[in-house]
Amino acid sequence: MAIKTILCIEDDRFIGEMYVRSLKKEGYEVDWIVDGNDGLIAARNKQYDVILLDVMLPERRGTEILEALRGGEEDLIPHSHVIILTNFEQDDESRAAMQKNADAYLIKAEITPKKLISVIKQLKDI
Amino acid sequence: MAIKEPKKTNYFWTSFHAKSIILTIFLQIIITAAAGLLLVYVGKLKIDSSEFIIIVGAIFAANLILNLISNNYAISPTRSMVAAVTHILGQQTNLPVPDANSNKNNKTGLGDALRTILGIKIEVDNSIDSAEVESLKSQLSIVTNMLDTTTCGFVAIDSNRKITYANKAAPSHVNTENITELDLLFSGDDALRKWIDECENSSVRGEHIWTRIPDSLPNQENRRFFDVVASYEKGRIAETILVLIDRTSLYSVDEENLDFLSFAAHELRGPITVIRGYLDVLEGELADKFEGDQHELFRRLIVSSTRLSGYIDNILNTSRYDRRHLKVNLAESTINKVYDVIKDDMMLRAGSQNRLLAASFPSDLPTIAVDLSSMSEVIGNLIDNAIKYSNEGGTINVTAAVNGDFVDVSIQDHGIGMPESVVSNLFQKFYRSHRSRETVAGTGIGLYISKAIVESHGGRISVRSEDGKGSIFIISIPIYATVADKLQSVDNSNERLISQGKGWIKNHSMYRG
Repeated sequence: MAIKTILCIEDDRFIGEMYVRSLKKEGYEVDWIVDGNDGLIAARNKQYDVILLDVMLPERRGTEILEALRGGEEDLIPHSHVIILTNFEQDDESRAAMQKNADAYLIKAEITPKKLISVIKQLKDI
Repeated sequence: MAIKEPKKTNYFWTSFHAKSIILTIFLQIIITAAAGLLLVYVGKLKIDSSEFIIIVGAIFAANLILNLISNNYAISPTRSMVAAVTHILGQQTNLPVPDANSNKNNKTGLGDALRTILGIKIEVDNSIDSAEVESLKSQLSIVTNMLDTTTCGFVAIDSNRKITYANKAAPSHVNTENITELDLLFSGDDALRKWIDECENSSVRGEHIWTRIPDSLPNQENRRFFDVVASYEKGRIAETILVLIDRTSLYSVDEENLDFLSFAAHELRGPITVIRGYLDVLEGELADKFEGDQHELFRRLIVSSTRLSGYIDNILNTSRYDRRHLKVNLAESTINKVYDVIKDDMMLRAGSQNRLLAASFPSDLPTIAVDLSSMSEVIGNLIDNAIKYSNEGGTINVTAAVNGDFVDVSIQDHGIGMPESVVSNLFQKFYRSHRSRETVAGTGIGLYISKAIVESHGGRISVRSEDGKGSIFIISIPIYATVADKLQSVDNSNERLISQGKGWIKNHSMYRG
């Protein structure tokens, strides 16, 4: 089944709106959450094809969310792709730790919604 | 006073012994000849008879044996004394140490002489501990005090790479195993060790200067910066000597600039994301509605926002590089792929400034070991410069060719060029030529970070320029096949990025020479 549902966890209103607008226009079903805690709950309650995860989030950081979802023995989101989207300079260790559990790690300032969509299209079905 | 070591004491015995034997044999020949002639003279024997040969031969043999025995007896006390003297001088010899207490030596009285000679050893040792040593010690303490009161650091390293001396100004500490360690963070962790290795393998003398070497990580208190001058001389007691000049006051200003720049750059990324994003989205959505020059103006918005984004990357990378955090992830790729990352932006940028950008690469170039994102940033910087420093309507040529183990990428403009005085400073941080300060906007870090990135690839960057005629910048990037072994031996299991294929390398520095 092709990728259809996307969860966007992004606290910057402008950036979040921009991604949601472009993704919806492209035909995806998008849920947008601005808070880390709610983001984690949403990711656990519903099965998404793709999760777009910011790093610097209120309440709960992106690193913690990913750790909670994929850091334990059991992968809680085995049917989801995770794309990290950040403008924050992480140190190498944290970045490597996140990359291990994610499908892509992108700097927001270096991509446009079009490029984000092309990355999502490259993802294979799980 | 210390006893002066006689020269060749250990050679004396060999030479003396040989001479005495030769002399004995020589004397026997003369004596035997005289005896033989006497026997012939008195008519007892005929010179051509066999009895003559037998008798003369017997006299010679008997005399020789007896004389050698007596000769050996006569020189044996000399042998014992020479052996004793050689022994206390600590020279190498085949002579055994004579036994001063043997019955024979005690009977003859030689024992006393030998005991006296062997006893001198103690006196020799005692004499070293006396006045001369005191004077040496006081001279040494004057020098040590002097070195400790200078602001320059001095460090001596012996051939086993152990620090044998570090004065107070040298940033060092003694670890729990009582070994002195330097507190200097060279850009490659083992830059100093590698340099000494290189010297050891290839030269008798060497000198190298590192600039802007910090003693601690950023944000630590009292962080200091040093210029390090290293000199190496094979066989010297302190094989490597480091002189460290504290340049904190000079470099810390730049550091503060960088702290601010890096902070500002992060803050700028948020708005840039939205500006670039919506420009990209809207260009498609509004394409049919543009009138007159609106489309061209819109393109300028896109070009400007991409440039801004590029400058922010430059600033962040410079900050990373100076904090020793710049990493390149080398993977097998082609120069075409590197250029593709920035191609559209560059074409748009050149077009909007009325420059012609002509890029063509031979199709048979080998693959290179490259970090797509940072190397495309370098080529982007160089094309950006070529646009800035060339004239309206000018052409910028981007080409590539194999040069030994490298692929050389050249970016050539036919613009204003540079005098030689400018070229030599070109790759320094915050350097802006007098002329460019007046006429062209820029931060002065584009070439600095480009050089850092290229060198992090194990490559080189160079420039040829002629005032008024234009410049050509050449980047040499290692051919993948020449470094593949070293890259593959690095553990890369944790590194993964969707846009960049396989072969991610965590740290390239392992293969740099």
